[in-house]
Amino acid sequence: MKVPISWLKEYVDFDASPEELANKLTFSGTEVESIQTIGGDYKGVVVGEIKTIEKHAGADNLLICQVNNGREDLQVVCGARNFNVGDKAPFAMVGAKLPNGMEILERKVRGVLSRGMLCAEDELALSDDHGGIMLVSRDIPAGTPFSEVAGPPETVFGIEITWNRPDCLSIIGMAREIAALFGTKLKLPSVDFMERGEPVDVMAEVDLQDAEGCPRYTARVLTDIRLKPSPQWMQRRLTLCGVRPINNVVDITNYVLLECGQPLHAFDYELLRDHKIIVRRGFSGERMSTLDGVERQTLDKAVLIADPVRPVALAGIMGGAGSEINDNTRNVLLESAYFNPPDIRRTSSKLGLSTESSYRFERGVDIGGVDWASRRAAALMVEHADAVAAQGVIDVYPGKQENRKIKCRFSRVRSVLGVDVPDEQIVGIMKFLELQVAGHEKDHCIVEVPTFRPDLQIEADLVEEVARINGLDKVAAVVPQAKVVVDADDSVTRAVIACRSNLTGLGLMEIMNYSFLSEQLLNAVSTVDIDSRVVLPNPVSSDYSVMRNSLIPHMVDTLGRNLAHQVDNAALFEIGKVFLKAADSSISEENHICVGLMGKAGRVGLSQRRPVVSEEIFLWIKGIVESLAAAQHVDDVVFKTAEHAGMEKGWAAVIEAAGKPCGILGVVKPEIRKKWRMIEPIAIAEINAAVFVSNIFRQVQLKPIPVYPAVSRDVAMVVNESVRHEDVIKIIKKAAPRELTGVELFDIFRSEQIGACRKSMAYSLTYRSLERTLTDEDANRYHEAIKDALKNELKAEIREGK
Amino acid sequence: MTLDEIDKIKEEGLRECDAVKTLPELEAVRIKYIGRNGFLPQIMKGLKDVSPDERSEYGRIANEFKNRVGSALDLKKAELAAGGAANGESTFDYSMPGIWRGLGAKHPISSIIEETIRIFGRLGFTVAEGPDVETGYHNFEALNTPAHHPSLDNTDTFWLETGELLRTQTSPVQIRVMEGRKPPVRIITPGRCYRRDTTDATHSANFHQVEGLYVDRNVSLADLKGTLAYFAREMMGPGVDVRFRPHFFPFTEPSVEADFTCHVCGGKGCRVCKNSGWIEIAGAGMVDPRVFKKVGYDSEEFTGYAFGMGIERIAMIKYGINDIRFLYENDARFLQQFV
Repeated sequence: MKVPISWLKEYVDFDASPEELANKLTFSGTEVESIQTIGGDYKGVVVGEIKTIEKHAGADNLLICQVNNGREDLQVVCGARNFNVGDKAPFAMVGAKLPNGMEILERKVRGVLSRGMLCAEDELALSDDHGGIMLVSRDIPAGTPFSEVAGPPETVFGIEITWNRPDCLSIIGMAREIAALFGTKLKLPSVDFMERGEPVDVMAEVDLQDAEGCPRYTARVLTDIRLKPSPQWMQRRLTLCGVRPINNVVDITNYVLLECGQPLHAFDYELLRDHKIIVRRGFSGERMSTLDGVERQTLDKAVLIADPVRPVALAGIMGGAGSEINDNTRNVLLESAYFNPPDIRRTSSKLGLSTESSYRFERGVDIGGVDWASRRAAALMVEHADAVAAQGVIDVYPGKQENRKIKCRFSRVRSVLGVDVPDEQIVGIMKFLELQVAGHEKDHCIVEVPTFRPDLQIEADLVEEVARINGLDKVAAVVPQAKVVVDADDSVTRAVIACRSNLTGLGLMEIMNYSFLSEQLLNAVSTVDIDSRVVLPNPVSSDYSVMRNSLIPHMVDTLGRNLAHQVDNAALFEIGKVFLKAADSSISEENHICVGLMGKAGRVGLSQRRPVVSEEIFLWIKGIVESLAAAQHVDDVVFKTAEHAGMEKGWAAVIEAAGKPCGILGVVKPEIRKKWRMIEPIAIAEINAAVFVSNIFRQVQLKPIPVYPAVSRDVAMVVNESVRHEDVIKIIKKAAPRELTGVELFDIFRSEQIGACRKSMAYSLTYRSLERTLTDEDANRYHEAIKDALKNELKAEIREGK
Repeated sequence: MTLDEIDKIKEEGLRECDAVKTLPELEAVRIKYIGRNGFLPQIMKGLKDVSPDERSEYGRIANEFKNRVGSALDLKKAELAAGGAANGESTFDYSMPGIWRGLGAKHPISSIIEETIRIFGRLGFTVAEGPDVETGYHNFEALNTPAHHPSLDNTDTFWLETGELLRTQTSPVQIRVMEGRKPPVRIITPGRCYRRDTTDATHSANFHQVEGLYVDRNVSLADLKGTLAYFAREMMGPGVDVRFRPHFFPFTEPSVEADFTCHVCGGKGCRVCKNSGWIEIAGAGMVDPRVFKKVGYDSEEFTGYAFGMGIERIAMIKYGINDIRFLYENDARFLQQFV
């Protein structure tokens, strides 16, 4: 909201620079976002009369003018064309310095001497308008200093008003705040005027059918109006507030809106059928055209102002076409009303139509000030539009209530704020804010809240008033004390933090993506999951239209985008929520962990040029999952071959913990990688975090450290390619005594000698007893048994010697 | 070869090994004792001539020969190699890059969240979390936000087909915690929030907040200021102070905005703080009695403060990140800097 300081000064006296005032307002809850100076001292700028206009021979878009500055004619080259001979405009003479810093020099423009400049509004810091030079009235003599025309420079605040303070959405509202801050009295303008016309209830009728949507409606009638421009001072104030002047009647309604925050509407009295106003709800299918020329169709249940035959205004939002002030208007019905905020909000948002008026009604105007605003506007119309005011007012206010009374306990104020505010100070603040102190007892006072403060409802609201007017700088920063809430449990969060630390310890970098993504990105990885997707009904854009049900698409995309930035190797992880829609449409959330590898991320040392093969990258990611599982104390993690829409066939495994699937890992399908131009394989794992964080705080139970030496024996064997490591392990474990404490695959090789479709696998087995030193014989006995089992069950050909 | 002879050769081998001074000398000893034509193959060959009774003993002695001499050679080799490097005889290039997998890095948003948890943890705050998909009741109504407040609009909030919404703030977690227990409550609630903002340098439709709530007997605005001042110094550095400006939030009364001294210029005014010396960090206030009423707390007996901060904003200010989009682009060249 724009607030010119000179306008404020009409209602409140204060002695402070704009900066001091801005500071005081900001620290009492009304944030001054900008301080703008409009205009300047205009030294060297006078009103110039354009005497002649010629074309510039050397440039099509320039004109050469002779401009009279009251003493002599000066030649000026000008780029604008919005003027004629005889027009008058602000003329900056040589030596003048404009508010925007521009200095006027005598210079040649395309070979023609120019001795000054005709100015546009933006050059004079009056507005942003650079559409042409500014024209002033031809009545002003040439040579008049422009400062006399423009008036002194103005300071205008840009103020942000919080949602709870509709009373501050006006100059008087701001002045009331300032009066409280400076401890002075608010001065309101007079609203007295002569009522020379007929009694108003003879001239018009109001039928309030919807007291819920419109708790108060007032109407005045003003006749014999002469439409003309409004007075200069009014136009200037409107302009400073960013409102374009139109004519005296419209300007007066806008002026009163800005002045006291009450939106008004002026109808052409003659265009209201039977001079009757009906306040009612719209029917289904009803339609009307608003002032902006738009046909509004969905008026069902909207509060409407109508005459007996048609709607004439969308209550509190915008007037209707066909009943508005026009060039022939002589008689006016002036509406000032209070509309129910939720109703205005609903209609405004449904129609996508927000106006200065709806903005205020939806926050709540001063129901008690409705008639004051009407009187103020009528008085101005009598004064500035030669209006004849009808006698009296139609004021329909069926549910008028007494002002709210709130008890304010002094000790409560002090204890909530932690500030020692004296009783008298509390009472004083209430009075400065124009709140009525109805009773003042030993330990409390009773505050009667005027209608312009709908936000003050309970004692806590009064505590806030004391806090902000007394000053929050009075609140000391008490040294904090640690306090323990003994039964609070945040182990899940701490487990996730530990998980994150473990993943970074494994050399992975954490990424973070949005919770929503595009349908295309999801589809790029998989379409089998469509039913489980949560689609946003109102996304910001199609790029963010579906909640993610897997972290894999974002991971692929992240790897791909990094590759496009010439980042060839990456080891990334993300911990984040996924959102799943069940068959009954209910939505569940799961925390997932996703790991992604690209390039030589798992290779240390030299040999960085050797391309990565699928087997290598698969085993890296499996190693990460195994390491993480170990660090998080997840027991019995096994990997089983699986199929997955995003993974290459044969290169995917489901991760199981304690017999239940909890994730997937694998090498991403080439046709998916291709979309990001990824040539080398990438590997991704996705795990349900709940399973992986649930054991992390399990106590370690120390096992005895072995005291007897271990004996190790190797076994190398040739087997068919179809034999898997897990098969070998299973057989070894079955045949092994409890003294077998370790099995390690240490070599695999293939050669012509071994034969096609066969491979040699070499394992190192460790035997150890907790009770005694094993002899070679013991070890040999165990080892032979295992070798026999391998021979029998896998048809393994044991390679003797080594 | 007799067992005694083997032992004797072994002892000799160990002595010779001990005496050598250079790697070539050591290699000669290795060839002599365990090389292809050295003693060891001879000893092994002798096994077949031993009577079955003595075979096992012979085997043991032979094995011992192999192990003892072998390890003596290894140890000496290591010793000479190390000594050689020290004497400048080695051609080893110590300047080669080290080989060990490096550490990864946490995302700056995670780092700020974890740091915040740590700081408030020292004051006895524990973490509470809640769902991203919330009810309108928890996100708005229970927080004293009237149904016609503009933040409920489709233009501001992501409503879902189920009638639920993506939470616009972490404050609903306060409600869930208070519904579940009696005071005292001392929690912080980090989490992800959503608003229908068009993404630009300072706005993101998906962002993180951390909210704090303390409800107990005799909690005051001064306690809130002290707690935030402690956080400010721990997070931003010593000398960082806090000031309050009045503001409005539906769920606190009084409501304040908390500014921290600009840690870049120390409050003198710079580009980061737009010459004000202060940076707006948190929204806060005393819990509105109307909120307590919703969760069944007695606002006469208990008071409480609540505060909320944007994690991205803190990360941006603390690390000098000038565009919020960097935080979600996941460019490895950006993330790498937080190792």
